[in-house]
Amino acid sequence: MSDLYAVTTAGGCHFQSHPSCGYPAPGIEEFYFKPAFRIAGFGFTKPILIMLLSAVIVLFVFYMAFRKPKMVPRGIQNVGELGILAVRDQILRPQLGSKGDRYLPFLVSLFFFIWLMNLWELIPVAQFPATSKFAFPLGLTLVVWVTYIFIGMKHQGPIGYFKNMAVPSGAPWWILPLLSPIELLSNIIVRPFTLSIRLFANMLSGHLLLLVFSIAAWYLFSATIGLLFAAVSFIVFLLVFVLEVLITLLQAFIFTTLTAFYISDALEPTH
Amino acid sequence: MPREGTGWSIVSYIVGGMLLYGGIGWLVGRWTHIEALTGVGIVLGIGLSLALIIFRFTRPSR
Repeated sequence: MSDLYAVTTAGGCHFQSHPSCGYPAPGIEEFYFKPAFRIAGFGFTKPILIMLLSAVIVLFVFYMAFRKPKMVPRGIQNVGELGILAVRDQILRPQLGSKGDRYLPFLVSLFFFIWLMNLWELIPVAQFPATSKFAFPLGLTLVVWVTYIFIGMKHQGPIGYFKNMAVPSGAPWWILPLLSPIELLSNIIVRPFTLSIRLFANMLSGHLLLLVFSIAAWYLFSATIGLLFAAVSFIVFLLVFVLEVLITLLQAFIFTTLTAFYISDALEPTH
Repeated sequence: MPREGTGWSIVSYIVGGMLLYGGIGWLVGRWTHIEALTGVGIVLGIGLSLALIIFRFTRPSR
């Protein structure tokens, strides 16, 4: 928890309660945490704890679901099958078709891991999405990047893959020297970069929005006209909260869908 | 039928074109001391990316 909460809550700082008591606007410092302890100089912070918890929960739920699978699923196995079928039918099949089923475990774990890391944003006490720290989306993207380049080299051969990646289809030969650098750059650098920035920026802005309106509701709560504004602020906070429920799911969905799309591009050239 | 990733591919082409030719323009501009070349490069990059998108996605290629 940052100093900002301490100032606003413990200090009892409200609208017009004190001349020097301004709105404590949340900033980028909300995304930096003091390490709880250090392991060989490496600080263990709240986002790391959230990430580890997410991984453990995903592992535990799917392990419990398929520990003793039955023909007629009961209890938690229903939940596990529902999750896997949702990823298969909504994300994998539209992009890869049934031949891509061997990538299902990868996509399922990716989807639920990201979704859970996003969801911590909405859970009281935790209330922080690990994916709003750029290192987490970047690390996930690195995994995806290595995976799709490896699959591409395996299925099209190293030279064939890079040839397909550099030569756009349908373009006349004389313009190729100008266009193939763009194609290569967008496939190798822009793609992974946008993939990580999309997730990171969405979660960061969502967290900031929630902070702005929740702190405003607290700050404006006083026996003045501010009470009215506090009520409005709280309603907006609730609306943003509902929106964020959707966005946590949507961002995990988009990340996984694009991963499936990149894999399908690596399996067979679009040309 | 276009697949779901097509829209994002188009975005990454435009960003890629801007970065590449904007970067080349910036380098040449530094060398020749003509600062406007960065802008020229960015516009040229967008134009070339649009050409690439048209070639790639509007003509039947399969």
